[in-house]
Formats: sequence, C-alpha cells, structure tokens
Amino acid sequence: MVKSFRPHSLTEALSLRKENDCIPFAGGTDLMVKYKSWTGIPPAFPRDVLFLSHLEELRHIEKRREALVIGSGVSLSQVAKYPDTPEILREAVLSIAAPAIRNIATLAGNVCNASPAGDSICALYSLDARVEVRSLEAVREIPIMSFITGPGQTILKRDEIVSTIIVPLRKSNINVFKKVGTRKANALAKLSFAAMGEVKGGIVDGVAISFGAVGPTVVRSTELEKKIVGKPVAELEAQIPLLIDDYGAMIVPIDDQRSTAAYRKQVALNLLENFLRNKLDDFATHHE
Amino acid sequence: MKKLDFILNGEQVTLAADPLKRLLDVLREDFNLTGIKEGCGEGECGACLVLLDGNLVNSCLIPVGVVEGHDVVTPEGLVETERGKCIVEAFADAGAVQCGFCTPGMVMAAASLLETSCNPTQEEIRKAISGNLCRCTGYDLIVEGIKEAMKRGKEVW
Amino acid sequence: MQGKISDPVRRADAIEKLTGKARYISDFEFETLLFARVLRSDRPRARILEISVPELPDGYYYIDARDIPEGGRNNIQMIKDDWPVFAEDEVRYCGETLALIVGPLKEKILEILSEIKVTYDDLEPAFTIEEGLACKGGAIVGDDNIFGRYHLVKGDPASAFKGAARIIEGTYRTGFQEHLYLEPQGMVGTWEEEKCTLYASVQCPFYIRKAVAGALGVPATEVRVKQTITGGAFGGKEHFPDVIAAPLAVAVNKIRKPIQLVFERIEDITYTSKRHPSRITIKTALDGENNIVGMDVDSVVNGGGYESSSLIVLQRAILHGIGVYNIPNVHIRGRAVATNTFPSDAFRGFGAPQGLFAIEVHMSQVARDIGLPPAEFKRKYFIKTGDITITNATMKDEVCLGEMFRKVDELSGYSKKVKAYDHDPLKGIGIAFVNHGGGFTGNGEQSIIKAVVEMERLEDGRAGLYVSTVEMGQGLQTVLRKIAARELGCDYRDIVYDNPDTDKVPDSGPTVASRSTMVVGSLVQQCAKELKGRWAEGVGTRTRKQYRHPEGLEWDQATLQGDAYPSYSWGVNVVEVALDPVTYEIETRHIWSVFDVGVPMDEKIMSGQVSGGVIQALGYAAIEKCEIENGRFRQHTMADYSIPTSMDFPETRNAFIENPYEFGPYGAKGAGEVVFDAAAPAYADAVGHLIGRKICEIPVMPEKVMEALRK
Repeated sequence: MVKSFRPHSLTEALSLRKENDCIPFAGGTDLMVKYKSWTGIPPAFPRDVLFLSHLEELRHIEKRREALVIGSGVSLSQVAKYPDTPEILREAVLSIAAPAIRNIATLAGNVCNASPAGDSICALYSLDARVEVRSLEAVREIPIMSFITGPGQTILKRDEIVSTIIVPLRKSNINVFKKVGTRKANALAKLSFAAMGEVKGGIVDGVAISFGAVGPTVVRSTELEKKIVGKPVAELEAQIPLLIDDYGAMIVPIDDQRSTAAYRKQVALNLLENFLRNKLDDFATHHE
Repeated sequence: MKKLDFILNGEQVTLAADPLKRLLDVLREDFNLTGIKEGCGEGECGACLVLLDGNLVNSCLIPVGVVEGHDVVTPEGLVETERGKCIVEAFADAGAVQCGFCTPGMVMAAASLLETSCNPTQEEIRKAISGNLCRCTGYDLIVEGIKEAMKRGKEVW
Repeated sequence: MQGKISDPVRRADAIEKLTGKARYISDFEFETLLFARVLRSDRPRARILEISVPELPDGYYYIDARDIPEGGRNNIQMIKDDWPVFAEDEVRYCGETLALIVGPLKEKILEILSEIKVTYDDLEPAFTIEEGLACKGGAIVGDDNIFGRYHLVKGDPASAFKGAARIIEGTYRTGFQEHLYLEPQGMVGTWEEEKCTLYASVQCPFYIRKAVAGALGVPATEVRVKQTITGGAFGGKEHFPDVIAAPLAVAVNKIRKPIQLVFERIEDITYTSKRHPSRITIKTALDGENNIVGMDVDSVVNGGGYESSSLIVLQRAILHGIGVYNIPNVHIRGRAVATNTFPSDAFRGFGAPQGLFAIEVHMSQVARDIGLPPAEFKRKYFIKTGDITITNATMKDEVCLGEMFRKVDELSGYSKKVKAYDHDPLKGIGIAFVNHGGGFTGNGEQSIIKAVVEMERLEDGRAGLYVSTVEMGQGLQTVLRKIAARELGCDYRDIVYDNPDTDKVPDSGPTVASRSTMVVGSLVQQCAKELKGRWAEGVGTRTRKQYRHPEGLEWDQATLQGDAYPSYSWGVNVVEVALDPVTYEIETRHIWSVFDVGVPMDEKIMSGQVSGGVIQALGYAAIEKCEIENGRFRQHTMADYSIPTSMDFPETRNAFIENPYEFGPYGAKGAGEVVFDAAAPAYADAVGHLIGRKICEIPVMPEKVMEALRK
C-alpha cells in the first residue's frame, strides 16, 4: 500500500524526498484528480506521497527587495489577495477554476503540473518569474522558461522540491491578462494571453508578451520583444503586420476536445494586435 | 492507517484512517455525514464543499491526512448555527431548492460569501457560487436566496 | 379564504434538502452491501469472439447473459425490446454492457476488471446521420438502417412547390446533449420478502418494474421498485435506468444480497444516453408577393445503436415540425436512423426542441432573405384557434401568441432593438415562438397509460396520495399536494405523498411528457373532490380515478392524423447578445420570456422551472459541445463537458399569461418542457442577427463564429 508522509520541517521533507521516490503534494488538486479511483477508495497514487503545504517555512508570501516571494504552500487565494501581487498574476490566478479550488491549490503546484494551458504559468513567463528549488544539499533558482520543458515536464530532480516562486516586481503601467475559456468560470483555457508594458513619454520602455495553450509550453519571445522596446508607440503601427507574422510562426496550437488550432492561433494574434495597436496606443495618448 | 485528531462540526474527533483517503469519503462513510455529495469527484461541481478552518474547499480533493489538527465544518454542522439557519430559511422561502443535490454545497458557498461580504452585489454573489454547478435552477432563485439571507441576517453576521 | 393556487408555498421537501438530511441512493446504508461495476465494450461495432475472465475469489461474481434465469429474456422490455440486457455476439456501440462484476471490495472488483480480456472482430462503424443513412459498414438495423419513418401531409405541397416564385432552403443541425443531472445514475438491488426489490433514482418506477420482470421472466408483481429522492433527471432517468436495472436484477436474482450500482461521473457522461442529434432540411415556397404557399420538412434524428424511444422522439419532432405556424400545403418526412453511437434517448423536450429549432431559425432566415424583420414575418403565420394543424385537425387551444409577443416586446424592447442593431456589428437580438403538446401524443394516455390515482383518508385530518409520478426537482410533490389540499380544504402539508413504491401505488404513468401536473394532477383533483364528499365515511376511505380522454378529440396513431395533443403550452423567448470582436466570444446580455402554461400551480416553482429550462437550453445552444471521437463522447469529464455556471448567463426575466385549460387542474397545462424549447433558436437567431450570417447549427461556438465571419 502507498504510504504518505507528513514531515515536521522542510529539512525533514527534503530528507524524505531524497530517501524515497515520492510525489511532492502541495495543494494536490491536480494530483487528486489525476489519480482518482472509485468512490471510497483512496486515489491510486503510483508512489508514496509527501505532504508539504502545512510546512510553516513554505507558507509565507512577502515582498523581498524588488520581488514577491511566494512559498510553495501558499494558496492561489492568498496570492490573489496579497496587495503587492502584480496585476496580471492576480488576474491569472483568479481565472483558475473556482473559489474553493483556489483555497487549496498552490501556485507552485500549477507550475510543477506544467500544463500548456496553465493560466498562472502564462503570466509568470511575462513576469520573468524564477523557481527556487531545494534539495538537502543545495538551493538553486531557475528561470521559469528553463524550468518547464514540455507538457507536464519540468527539470525538477528526484530529490528536489520547489520551495518558492520568485516574481520580480517591475514597473508596468499597462497590464493585460486574458483567458479564453470553455465557459466563463470554472473553465479550462482554450488559450491565454499575458502582456505587460511600460510606456514613458510615448516610448515603449519595456514589454513582455506570453501566450498559453498554443504550444507544448507557454510561448514568449524576448527576441521579438526587442523589436518593440525603445520604439515610440506612434511608430508601432507600421510594425504590427510583421510582428503578427513573426509571432504567427511561433504559435503552433493543436485541435483537441476544447478548441481548434485555427481558432487558438487567430485569437492569440488578435489579442496581440489589440495589445499593440490599442492598449499601448491608448495609454500613450492619454498620458502625454 | 494513522490516528488522526481533528475538530468536526465543533467537536474533537479521532479517526484511524489511511491519510490518503478522501475527506469526502471519510465524512460520508466513517461519520455518516451524507449532507455532502459526490457529484463528480473532480472538484468541478461543488456538491462536496466543506469549510476547512473557515475556508471553502472541495472535500473530494482533500486527503484526510491534511486535516489533522484542523477544523472541519459540514452542512450538518453549519445548519445548526444561527447563520446556517438564516440561510436555510431564506433559501426555502426564495424557492432556491429543486432536486436538492447541489443544495448543501450552495449553502456552504453562501455561508462562506456572507462571512466576508455583508452586502455583495449580484456579480459578487454569482462569482461566489461559480464553483457550484446546478442543472435545475438556472441559478436565479439561488441568487435570490442569498440576497434574502443578506436581508434577514443583519444581526446575524 | 384561500388565496390563489399560484400563490407560492414553501416546497414540501425544502428543509430536508437544505439541511442535508435528504437521503439519495448513495446515502443509504445496507447491511453487507456488495458493489457492482459494468464491464463494457470498448468498440463501437464488433463481433465478440471471446471473453476470458480470470478465476474469481470467493464472494466475487461475473454475471452475464448466461445468468438470465429460465423464462427470462435477454431483451430489455422498453418501448421496443431490441436492446439486450447483456451483449452476446455483437456490440453496436462503445459502452454496451457485456457483464457485471459483483463483490464486496471495490479494489478487488477493479483488479478483476483489469484482468478480463475481450477479443473482438472489429467491424466498420457508422457514427453520423450521413454515415447511418449511407449504411456505412453495412446496415446495422434492417437493410437500410431506418428504425422508422413517418410522413405528414397537409394540403397539396407538390402543387404549391410547382407554382412557387421562389424557394428558400436551409439545413439545420443540433448536437448531442448530456443531461448532467447532479446526482449520477444509481440504484441498489436487493432480495426482500421473496422478491427482487430495487431502490432507484428514477423517473418511472413502473418502467423499471416491467424491464426487470421481463429479464427475470416473472410476473410484474414479483418485482418491487422504490423510487429514492432523485437528484435531477431531465429525461435521462426515464428509459436509460432500465439498461442498468435489468442486468442488476439478474445479479440480485443469482446472489440474493444487496448490490449497489452507482455510476461515477465520467462513467455517467461517457456511458448514458444523450439527446438525439438532428438534421432537418426545410424548404419554403413563396409566391410572387413573398407569401408562404408551402413547406417541405425533412427530419432525421440519430437514434444510435438501439431503438429505445427514437420513434416517439421522431414523432414529436415532426409534430412540432412547423411550430406555431399555420402553413398551407406542408409535407413533413421523418426518419430515425441507426448508427454505432450510444443509443439516444429522452431529454426534456423529446424531439420538440430539435423540430422547433429548425423551424424557428428557418423562419427568421426567410424573413431576412425577403427583407422583413423576423417577428413581423412570423406573426403573419401564427396559428389561431380553429385553424387546421399539421395533422389536419383544428387547433382547439386558445392561442395567445399575439398577447405574448406584445408582452415580451414591452419587456425587452425587441421591435426597436431589432432595427437599431441592424447597424451595430457588436449587438444582436433574437426571438423564438414555440408550443409544446402536453401529455403523450394522440391517444397514448387513453390507450397505453390509462393512469390511475388513489387517495385515502388517514388519521389526524391527513390524506394519503398514491401516484407513481416522482419528484425530481420540478416541484411535483408540492404541486400535487397543493391541488389535493385545495380540493379537500386542508393544508398542503397534511397530504402524505411518499416517493412511489410500486407495491403501494397504482400506475399513474411515467413522469414524462409534461403530463404530471396536467394529467395526473387532474386525476388528483377528481380523487380529492370525491374523497371530500365521502370524508365522513371515516379513516381508511379510499377513492380511485382513472384517466378518460376529453370528449371531442380524435386520433389515428397509424396515420398520425387528428388531435395530436389535448392541449399545448406556448412560449416566447427573446435573447440579446454582444460580440467580443477580438475573441469572437458571444456574451448574452439579456434574456426575457413569456409563457402560457394555463395557470401556474406555484409562482416560485414555475419561475424556477423557467430559469432552469432557459439556462439549460442556452447551454445546449452555446457551450455544450458533445462530439464523437472513435465512437465515444469526446467531452466526457465534468471539466470538459461544459454546462452553464452562475457566470455564463445573466438572470432571466420572465412573465406568464393566464389561459386556463378546461381539463387541467385549476386550469394547468404542461410546463416542464416548453420552458426549454425556445431559448436555443432565440439564441441562434440573435447570433445570426449579430454577425449578419445564417447560423444553422448548435452549439454556436466562438470557433464557428470566427469561421462564419471570415468567410
């Protein structure tokens, strides 16, 4: 029979993780569904389970220097409520599932599940979030874009757990998060869009644009963003068709039970165009 | 099997159980508290909602090991309180019940909302029950039931 | 002095449901309960070559066709008995019952199931209406895959079409729809007092009794069915539970211990009957002045692997095939086709939503093609009392469509908006008018059901009410109490109306077809009236009434001619929508409805039925995608099969007009289904108006809106 562990400290948790091939269990909302069995029977976990979200060390959310540090036991509700949570992350988190699930599920869990349709992941890419990963021996910080390598796949090692998600707090006076779901609440994403921009004196000072559920991982191109940064907003109009083509080449969604490749791609590009043409422009013209 | 102590509907209880057994199954089978229902087992329908340390959660997604040392309230416990009774009476008079399967979960969600917000708008009410699926009512009279509870519950919350 | 019957009362079952005390089938405890799990085919069409079952430990059973007792039959006695209890040589759909595994421990049952090997000889399946009609892979049924066909002719359609100045044609499609009652299918079979007893979450206890008696080869009285509190049904617990009950009864007959069979949600969505998909082509013949001179309707419904209620659904689809209109010269053709999909079955509306979707959307499209606003065009053809119906009888109902339109127009501003939004690319508004025949088609009540109701004087001023119709959320246990109480002059809480037990109640018919209030309620009223007159005879006095068809109605079932229904309920929905041009998502901004259900028996209960029916229909129209992939329903989790949440649609704004029906209790007519019929065509009409394209298929997904806009 599969065992479960409820460690008393993070150190004990890391020991158990090292000694046993066990599944890190924070909120567990994805795991409990994935391994669900018949009513009355515990879920059919293939390996021992390591409970984590009760650990005091993992339950903090705080501002540290210019970043938000979110422990892997912090629930999505807590992330949404925290006053310094960046806007696109708050909106992304509030678009996940439903109120009761958000009281249990964690941001770290959403990241480790690494679903291409993960709503918070899309926002975290644009925010240049980092994943802090611990083993008994070491701590390392990994940019989220390197942490997730494919659908359901991360580079988390067998003896590691995610201890915090670190979200740099940058200035962005334009924030757009949009999730297109199969319905208006309690829905899985057909696609998502998380974009931030900082416009000062009519010039694009910074921009980050990510697309979710349109590829095996979230799509973001810092290369293409370089073509936008430093430009006056007024000159962007001419570039938009080229940018749409360039992004179009990177967005390769699939047909599945939720939506079609054609729809996902077209709407992703519409959202991009809307951001570039209207959002940045609106902001620039109203803040001269 | 592990010996687990927690508070259930205001009373200290002890249970020997596999910590991985779902809280939903523990409550329904071991404690015979069948007010919560299994509508899906996927966390989608809200028929299994309980309050864990005052937070609304899907009991089909919680392994019982996680509630050790914590406070669980089920519909049976809630409806014994002043607030619970207020919600029950308001829902009954508003016509918010049809087949009844989603009802205990709706009552829990209403309680959770009214705990934090004494004058929610129609939009906020609908958001608060967005994790509760109902196939019978179309939600309108449930929203009315919550509004009615708000009106009557001036002293109670 | 009593108030009006419509004055709302607190539902009789409200408190027990609100406090969590109501016990549904999974909440029951039995001593030594065994569990059953279905072994199903995972092929849509195949011959079964071999099933190898591992050796079973003590106390575990593999139950299949060989366990059907002497005298029993491997055919489920339903409307048709073509559906086997256990598949033997062939399977016609993914999920067909092969056997039941029964035992005390669920883990062991799952282990046994995983070790069973079924060897098939795969055959080429047909899934769509087109594939069924083409007999892809060879006919599944007969030599043409047609379960049944009908024709209705009024006037002289051939001449009308010959002389037409213009013909406008459209083909309309509706998809599968899953009921998604919140309480999954479930029952417990036991052996009590020497007979097979089933505790079941069902709409029709006597249907279950019949199916089980047939499988076991015993008289019906040797089977007992006790309905348990039912957490939603919508037609999904009308015939389909027979398919669960028959194999379960075979198991109970062999093992003689309580056995629970409750579906998990994924199992329920994947392996239960859905609403019949439809493909309906309508041609309208117009004269030189754009008046309708004739119509031709060709309806096909996808019945799946076995017939079940497909012919009755088809009948209703064509009997509502020209909706609320008086059209001269009509030909309607209907076919129910066999395919290798899960057999389709009853779902609120039962064919009428499909037929009404097509005619309503078509009429709006014809109107726009000839340059008229839809409502203005439709109103020209509203049927009136005395007009000839599609079955060549006279419309006997008092038809109040004009008044209903004025009312909904007042509420919604439809007439102004439909013109104003013509030039607004982001807004649209749609309207649909429907009627729904109450009760069984034609003389079904008289010749097939022959409903009986009984009442009895009990102690302490109470009265017992004995009917077989069930409470499934629609409020029946409150409404029938109100009717009885009003007649008796007592409080509705003094009426005892328990969940039906086939050993204790007469057969007042199934809880279907919007008949429970109108037909059964009328018998309740008569029973109560007589009991009141005989009250002085003392405790134990019983009265009994049997259905008699109203005078003056004629029906020929062989030709489908005459008075198709004793009465109709009527409705109109207006839906207003807005477009998000970036994502092509449609937002429903407003919903209005006006219904004529005779006289509502309880305002609150009736309001709840309207909201529920309208939102369920908007789900059907807008978000409930249900596709077939390799013979299985692709959207089969609660996450992927999207029903409306509280955020998906705004509140509904509803009104009723009173139009008392002579033969309904206190003027009531049918109510449970008409509330579903209009919202889907109103939505499709609204989206069509919004994007300036013809919307001919539901659900209307944003993907389709994008496709339409980019054409």
